[in-house]
Amino acid sequence: MHAELHDIRVRFGPLLAVNGVSIDISAGKVLAVVGENGAGKSTLMNVLFGLITPEAGRIVVDGSDRHWSSPQHAIRAGLGMVHQHFMLQEQMTVLENIVLCGEPVHFLGIVDFKAARRKLAEGFRQHGIVIDLDAKVGSLSVGQKQVVEILKMLYRDASLLILDEPTAVLTPLEKDRLFGILRSFAASGKAVVIITHKLDEVMEIADHVAVMRGGRLVSSLPLKETSKERIAREIVGGELPPPLKPAARQPGEVVLGVTDLRIAGHGMDIGPVSFEVRAGEIVGIAGVSGNGQSELIQALTGLRRTSSGAISIAGKRVESLDVHERRQVGLSYIPEDRQRVGLALGATVAENANAGRNDPRSFARGWFLDRAAMARYARGLIERYRIKVHGPGALASTMSGGNKQKLVVGRELSRGTPLVIAENPTWGVDIGAIELIHAELMRMRDSGHAVLLISTELEEVLRLSDRILVMYSGSLSNPIPAAEADRNRLGTLMTSRSAEARSAA
Amino acid sequence: MSAPSRNWLSGDLLPWIVTLAWILAIFLALMILVKAPFGTAIQGFFDGAFGGRRFAYLMATLSRATLIVGMALSVMLSFRAGLFNIGGEGQLVAGGLVSALVALAMPGPPLLVLAVSILAGMVAGMAWALLAGVLYLYVGVPLLVGSLLLNFPIRYVASYLVAHPFRDVPSGMLQSNLMPDQTWLPYFPGTRLDIGILFIVATSIITIVYSYRTVHGYHARLNGLAPDFARAVGLPVARLTLQTLAMSGAIAGLVGAIAVFGIHHRYVDGMLVQPLYAWTGIIAVLLVGMIPWLVPFSGFFFAALQTGAAGMERAAQVPKEIALVMQAVIILFVASRVSVALMSPSRDKGSDGDV
Amino acid sequence: MFDFLLDPSFLASVPRFVTPLLLAGLGGAICERAGVFNIGLEGMMLTGAFAAVVGAYFAGSPYIGALAAALAGAAMGLVFAEFNLRRGGDSIVVSIAINLLAAGITAFLLRVIFKVTGTFNSPDIAGFAPIQLPLVKDVPVIGPILSGQSLLFYLSVLAVPVLHFFFARHRLGLRIRAAGENPAGLTAGGVNPNQVRLMALILCGALCGLAGAQLSIANVKLFVENMSAGRGWIAVVAVLLTRGRPWPLLFITVLFGMVDSLSFRVQGLGMPQQFTDMMPYLATLAVLTLLSWWYRKRQA
Repeated sequence: MHAELHDIRVRFGPLLAVNGVSIDISAGKVLAVVGENGAGKSTLMNVLFGLITPEAGRIVVDGSDRHWSSPQHAIRAGLGMVHQHFMLQEQMTVLENIVLCGEPVHFLGIVDFKAARRKLAEGFRQHGIVIDLDAKVGSLSVGQKQVVEILKMLYRDASLLILDEPTAVLTPLEKDRLFGILRSFAASGKAVVIITHKLDEVMEIADHVAVMRGGRLVSSLPLKETSKERIAREIVGGELPPPLKPAARQPGEVVLGVTDLRIAGHGMDIGPVSFEVRAGEIVGIAGVSGNGQSELIQALTGLRRTSSGAISIAGKRVESLDVHERRQVGLSYIPEDRQRVGLALGATVAENANAGRNDPRSFARGWFLDRAAMARYARGLIERYRIKVHGPGALASTMSGGNKQKLVVGRELSRGTPLVIAENPTWGVDIGAIELIHAELMRMRDSGHAVLLISTELEEVLRLSDRILVMYSGSLSNPIPAAEADRNRLGTLMTSRSAEARSAA
Repeated sequence: MSAPSRNWLSGDLLPWIVTLAWILAIFLALMILVKAPFGTAIQGFFDGAFGGRRFAYLMATLSRATLIVGMALSVMLSFRAGLFNIGGEGQLVAGGLVSALVALAMPGPPLLVLAVSILAGMVAGMAWALLAGVLYLYVGVPLLVGSLLLNFPIRYVASYLVAHPFRDVPSGMLQSNLMPDQTWLPYFPGTRLDIGILFIVATSIITIVYSYRTVHGYHARLNGLAPDFARAVGLPVARLTLQTLAMSGAIAGLVGAIAVFGIHHRYVDGMLVQPLYAWTGIIAVLLVGMIPWLVPFSGFFFAALQTGAAGMERAAQVPKEIALVMQAVIILFVASRVSVALMSPSRDKGSDGDV
Repeated sequence: MFDFLLDPSFLASVPRFVTPLLLAGLGGAICERAGVFNIGLEGMMLTGAFAAVVGAYFAGSPYIGALAAALAGAAMGLVFAEFNLRRGGDSIVVSIAINLLAAGITAFLLRVIFKVTGTFNSPDIAGFAPIQLPLVKDVPVIGPILSGQSLLFYLSVLAVPVLHFFFARHRLGLRIRAAGENPAGLTAGGVNPNQVRLMALILCGALCGLAGAQLSIANVKLFVENMSAGRGWIAVVAVLLTRGRPWPLLFITVLFGMVDSLSFRVQGLGMPQQFTDMMPYLATLAVLTLLSWWYRKRQA
C-alpha cells in the first residue's frame, strides 16, 4: 500500500497542531515520525487513521482520494493502528482479543476459533512470532501485550501499520523482538509507520525519517541521507531548554524521611524503599509509569495503607495518620489526575480553591461558609497564578486543562507546607502552563521547601531535580546527583534492574 | 464552545420544548386509549389537585406534598453527597412505626409524649439509614442494594407488629390502636390539613441553608461530586458519609411520624409503602437535578399530579394510575437531560481542553 | 426436624421459586457483562408477568403468553436503551424510572383492559401445565425436582450452559464482554459499543419478561399489582455477587429459591407469615453481607 498525506492542517482551538504537512508512506518501508511531545506527530497519524478530521488537506491511498469519517473506514481500507495506550481486554485470552471485531463465524454467529488459529499459525511462521494464544491478556507482560496488538493488525490483513510510541514501555529485549517483527512485516510488503522520540531506535529500524516540530514538517529524508546529530538538531530546532537551575545550594533539614517502606500493590509489592528529601531541594523520581510510583505516592499522602516501614514529615512520624492529619503536619499534594483527584469539576472555582485548607476559620464562621471570603481567596489564586477563567463562581469544568492544573498547583502551593509532592504536574498542559508550574516549583525550593517530584517525563525530572532516583518494578535506585545524571544512565535504570538499583535487603 | 447564538430555537430552550412535547404526546395517547372526555378530565384534574369545597382538595394535595417533599429532602441530602441511599422507604417505615409504638406505650402529658415519639421516630429512621451506611463502609455492601434490601425486613416487622401484638383487634383491620387524641397534630382551622406541613417547611429551609451555606454541606457536596478529590484533600469521607446518612434517615423518620400523628393517627399496615412516598421523593429530586431550592416545588408538583389524577378519575373515569405512568415518563425524559450534567460531571474526560 | 428437606412437595416447589430468579438473573448477567448497570430487572419482570396474563388470556395459550412476556420485557429493554444509551441518562435513574413505569403501566392497563383494580383472576388464563418426565419422575429426591415443572423451568436451566457458551464462543457474546471490560477496544476495532449494549438490553428484557411469565402463568394463574415483590432486586444481588457468570448464578439463585420455598413451607408450621415472607430478603442480605465482607478481605 502506498499512502500520501497532502498539506494536512489540524487546529485545536487557537492552536495549529498540524500545519501544512505532506508525507509519503510506501510499502515495504519503515517510516519513523519523530519530534518532541506536542510536535504534532500523533495528531498527524490520527488524521491518517480517521480519528481526527483535518481542517484542510488530502489523504491519498494507492492513487485515489480518501475521506474517512471514522476509524472503521480506515480499518476497512487496510490500515491498522496500535495506540500508545493498549485497547485490549485483559479478561480475555490472546486469541479472543485478536479476533474481536473481526470474528470468523460459521453458523448462527458462533466464532470459528479453529479457522482463526490456522490463519494465525501461518503468520507466526512467516514473522517468527511466539505467543500462547490461550493465555489471558491480563497475565501478559507489556511487551507481549504489544505483540497482541500487532497480531490484531496482522489478523485483519492490515497493509499499513501505525505504531504510536511502541517502545515507551518496553524492555530492551522486548524492543528487539518487536523490531524483528516490524522488519519482517516490511519485508513482506507492508508499510510501517512508527511514532517515536527515541533517536537510537530511529537509527536502528527506520528506512525513512520525518521530523516534526511545532506542527510543521522540518525534514523528510531517507535514513541514509541524514544522521543522528542532524535529526536531534532538527527536533529541538537549535534552541536549548532554558536553564532553570541556579547553582546548587546546601540543602537543609530532612523534611520527608522514608525508611524501609513496603506497600502491597496489585500484583507487585513495592519496596522496601528508603530515601529522604531535604528542605531547599527538589528530589525527582523518574521511571516508566506503572512501576509503583502511584502506590508510593498514595502511601506517602495517606491514601493507601503501608505494610511496614516509617514515613516522617518534618520530623514527625506520620505513617499511621490519615490524609487530613498529614496535611496538617505539612504536606501538599499535586495529583496527576486533575479531572478526578485534583479538582471537583462540578464545583465552582471558589469551592475547589478552598478545599483542604488548613484553617476553617479562614473560609467559615462557625458552621457556616463565608462565601465572600472563599471568593476573595479564589480571586487571589486566579491573579497570582494567571488562571484564565470567568471568575470564582465559574464551574471548574469550564477551564482548559492548563488552567485547571494551575488552579490545583496554586491551591496546593499556597498552603506553604514544608513538603510538596508533585505527581506529573505538567501532564498534558500547554507550554505556558508548564513554564509557570516549573517556575513555581523552583520558587518553592528556593524559599526552603522540600519538593518531591514524581514524573514519567524524563526531561522534566532532569530539568528540575537536584537529586534523581529511578523507580523500576517497585524499587528505587540510589540517588544520583543532578550533575551526574544523563539520559542514557537514567534510561538504563528505568528499564532494568541494574547494579545501581538498591538490593532488596 | 461555539459562538454565542441568542436565537432561542438553537439555544437551550428547544430541547426542552421537544421534551415537553414528547411528554404531552404520551399523555394524549393514554387519554385517547381510555377514551377520556378531554375537557371534563382536565377540569377534574385541576379541581382534584387545587380545588374542592373550601379548597379541600388543595389541602389534600398539600398534605400529600408534605410527605413527598419530606422524603425528597431526605433523599436529596444523600444523593448530593454521592450516596445512593434508595432505602428511604425503610427509614420512613421505621420512623412511623417506632413513633407510633412509643406514643402507645408511653404515659405522660400528651405534648411530651408527642415530642418524644417524634424524636424516637427520627432516631429510628436514622438508625435504619446508619445500618445501611455501616454495612457499606465497613463490610463493603454496595449502598444502593444494601439500603434497598433493608426496606423489606422493616416492612414485614411493622406488618407483624400491627397484625399481632399491637393490633386494633376490634377494627378487623391490620392496624394499631389509635393514638391518644391529644397527641394528634392539630389541623389548621376549618381544614383537614395538619400542622405537619410546618415541620416540613422548616426542614426545607434548614436543608436548603445546609446545602448552600454550611461547611458540612459544602464538604458533603464535594464528596458527592468527586470522591477521589475529597479523599485527596483530606476530607473525613467516612464521617461525612455516616453523618449525611444519619440526617437523611432522621428526616425520613420525621416524615413517618408526621404521617402517623397528622394523617392516620395510628399505624396502618402499608400506609407508608403503598403510596410510594419514598420513590416519589426520589424522582422529585431527580426531576430537578438535585438543586436544593427546587426540591419542594418538585415534590409539590408530583403530589398535585397524584391528587389531580384522582380528581380526573372522579370526573371522567380515567384510571388514576395514569399518574404513575406519567411520573415515570416525565422522569425518563427530564432526568436523562439533567442527570448527565449534574450527577456525574467528571465522567466527560474528553473535555480537558489542551492537546 | 429437617425431614421436610426431602419431602417431595417441598422439593417440587423449589424450582417454582428458582425459575424467576434464574431467568431474571441471567438477563441481568448479560447487562452486567456488557457494562450496563441495570437495576430495573424488577420492572422488566413485572411487565412480563402482566403481558403473559394478557397473552394467555386472550390467545388461550401459555406459549403466546410467554411470547408476549418476552416481547414486553424486550420492549422495556428498548426503553432503557433509548434513555440510557442514546439520550445519555444515568443508568440508575433510568432503572428507577423503568421500575416505576412498569408499576404504573401494569396497574393502568389492568384497569383499562380487565376493568379491575389490584388483582385479575380468571379461569380463562391459560397457564403452563407441569411437564412429567418419564423415568425421571420416579427417581427419589431428584424426581420431584426435575419432573413436573413448567416449560419455563426447563428453559431457564438450559439457558445456563447456553449463556456460558454464548459468552465464550459467540460473536455477540464476545463483544458483550468487551463492551463491559474495555469499550474503547471495540471502538478502535470499528464496532460501536452502544449497539452491543442495545442487544444486551433486549436479551435481558426478554429473559426478565419470561421470569415474569413464570410468576403469573406458571406458578399461579393470575396477576396481582406489584407481583414481582422484590424478586427483581434479589436477582440484582445475585448478578452483583456472581459478576454475571452463569454457573455461579445458577448456584446462588438455587440457594435463594430454596430459602424462598422454605419460607413457604414453614408458614404451614405456624410461624407468622410476616416472618416467613421476610426470610428471602434476610437471606439475600446475609449472603450479600458475607460475600461483600469476604471480597473485601480477599482484596486487602
